[in-house]
Amino acid sequence: MPIESIIGGWVATGLTLFIFSFLYKDNPLFKVAENLYVGVSVGYTIVKTFDTVIVHLIWKPIVETGEWSLLIPVAIGTLMLTRYVPKAAWISRYAFAFIVGVGSGLAIPRTISSFILKQIEDTVRPILLLVPGEGVTFTWSLLDPTSSLNTIIILIGVSAVLFYFFFSVEHSGPGKVVARTGILFLMIAFGAAFGYTVMARMSLLIGRLTDLIEFSDPSYGMPTLWLLGLTILTLVVMSRRSSGKQTKEEE
Amino acid sequence: MTFTERMLKIDRRIIFLVIGLCTLLPLLYPVGFPIRISPEVRGVYDHIELLPEGSVFLLSLDFDPASKPELQPQSIALLHHAFRKNLRVVAMTLWVSGTGLADQIVTQVAREMGKENGRDYVFLGWSPGGTAVIINMGQNLYGAFPTDYNGKPTRELPVLHGVNNLRDVNYAVSLGAGNPGVEAWYVFGKDKYKFELGGGCTGVMAPGLYPLLRSGQINGLIGGLRGAAEYEELIGQKGHAIAGMDAQSATHMAIIVLVIMCNLFYLSLRTAARQGQSGA
Amino acid sequence: MIFLRRQLPLLITLIAGLVFAAQYYVPHPASEQMLTSVTKWLQIISGFALVLGVSSLFHVHAAKIRRKEAGWGYSFILYVGMLGTIAVGLWSNGKEAVDGASTAFGWVYNYMMVPLQGTMFAILAFFIASAAYRSFRARSREAAVLLIAAVIVMMGRVPLGEHLIPISGDLSQWILNVLNASVRRAILIGVSLGTVALSIKIIFGIERSYLGGGKE
Repeated sequence: MPIESIIGGWVATGLTLFIFSFLYKDNPLFKVAENLYVGVSVGYTIVKTFDTVIVHLIWKPIVETGEWSLLIPVAIGTLMLTRYVPKAAWISRYAFAFIVGVGSGLAIPRTISSFILKQIEDTVRPILLLVPGEGVTFTWSLLDPTSSLNTIIILIGVSAVLFYFFFSVEHSGPGKVVARTGILFLMIAFGAAFGYTVMARMSLLIGRLTDLIEFSDPSYGMPTLWLLGLTILTLVVMSRRSSGKQTKEEE
Repeated sequence: MTFTERMLKIDRRIIFLVIGLCTLLPLLYPVGFPIRISPEVRGVYDHIELLPEGSVFLLSLDFDPASKPELQPQSIALLHHAFRKNLRVVAMTLWVSGTGLADQIVTQVAREMGKENGRDYVFLGWSPGGTAVIINMGQNLYGAFPTDYNGKPTRELPVLHGVNNLRDVNYAVSLGAGNPGVEAWYVFGKDKYKFELGGGCTGVMAPGLYPLLRSGQINGLIGGLRGAAEYEELIGQKGHAIAGMDAQSATHMAIIVLVIMCNLFYLSLRTAARQGQSGA
Repeated sequence: MIFLRRQLPLLITLIAGLVFAAQYYVPHPASEQMLTSVTKWLQIISGFALVLGVSSLFHVHAAKIRRKEAGWGYSFILYVGMLGTIAVGLWSNGKEAVDGASTAFGWVYNYMMVPLQGTMFAILAFFIASAAYRSFRARSREAAVLLIAAVIVMMGRVPLGEHLIPISGDLSQWILNVLNASVRRAILIGVSLGTVALSIKIIFGIERSYLGGGKE
């Protein structure tokens, strides 16, 4: 095992346990890891942005292939940075106007096509199916999402939920029934979302513990066990010191 | 305080300990329950299985280290499958902090499968702009990525021979942890450039992508660690996802038991309060 | 001056918005070439936007260190982490690995960034369990429906749950593919209508908050 991997294993395990120490209570170990996390993430982003944008998207195309038109976006990007100069901040509006204008223009037809028209198209599918040789059939299978019964359920669900969110009309009389149906569908969907969120969060924990188990191997020097002991000891000492301070203050 | 009240106000660190043990013990002592394959995951698998050799497969690893436990197993399984089918793999990422991870995953699997960089696969790397990158690739792939991640000019790579833009991609799969992800690939990619699209995502994103799955906008969906486990089962390659399923089962059962317990205590408290009121 | 400060930016937004909305429907090669060029520009401008986002972080923590406010030591650690990563990254030419061998930048990425980011989100597992125990109570009929749906999906999406109660798998599939899909579809349509409305408001200058920067 190369020495940099062993050192890396110890550093990774230590930082992982520092963050897990927050589960006991907020403490300086966690704060160190938290601030290091922000610093390293931002530093990584800056390096990648510099390498990709400045070197590969601007410098090389302009200098090696003579794409001088790329100076236009460089100028627009530079205009954006004037936001931090109070007297010249209004110049940054040109850059934002361009970006937001282009972004909005690109988004409108694509969003309408993908998320409105296509979704409505799939909602208003035929309920009765024409099967060659059998004639018109109505399929009842709940397990098949494309069955006729499920098509009706989806149609009711989409309409009821859309109606529920339409607050310009009072939800009374028949409207109240539709809105309550919408709420029922919403609760089921939120329940499903909660179930999946639990699954996702647990998966993240499983991933970290898998790494900790890997780093408990003797080839790394068993950092998991040693650093776990050290972290627990540190938390106990800190806990005793803070309770000691509290008793002194009360006296 | 009654037993019920004490149980409802229990120190949360005890719950943390329960969850910790439910995760750790199955990882150390696995059981291995059978995994049922869902139609959503089968959709992606069947499509790749039917692709002829030499087809262009675009894999966009749109996630960062925070989603590594869920999406790395999905990436590895998909890459194993694609390399086994001798597809031309074009990998990339739209998330800056996921670049190193994506590079490692692609390089590692390619090495295991004996594939050559530039001839069998290419890792394009990251480019800023998210949706702008997708549109740019749709217009002209070499404009969006003039070089691959190692600095080699993309036009000269044999793996990209005949590929000018996204219309020349036979199948694209986006493994997304948020935005930009699967939805962005559809809206700014498939909608105009008409390539076939599949999706993979974290458990948090999965329920939100079912409308796209139902309408056929994506032809399959691999959701979370469970989806990755199903895919590993389909390709017959046990990996981190299948290994994690026992812990997943244990933690889910723990949460279900906790929720049922808390509701039983709550109902008993409410009944006692009502009886107390009616008695008084 | 008002024209330069307020009306010209709004005019730029209007023209850019209308041109690129119309571009979707115009397949002429010149229109496609314009789309290719401008999206390339957007990529470069996004890089500058990242710098903008990061520089505010610089200022906040630099001020904290200068004024020696409470917790300035942690801000110092943040700075050391940031500058250290930048130095190592530039020394490694921005590459995590060269010919399969990890660089110093790759070491920082694999043994610091990945564990830190991964663990930050992994601790949420504990909090979701604690929150579920303390607040996931069937106080009303709607809450009970939510609870039952959540339990069915949690049961049906793990192998043990499907083994104990086989119908939970089919039931959770039905919930996801039919009930959940219909709700998410309605939300998607509603949110998309809102997005389109907001984009139109921005293009026509009704919504101006994105401009910011200076008075007026």
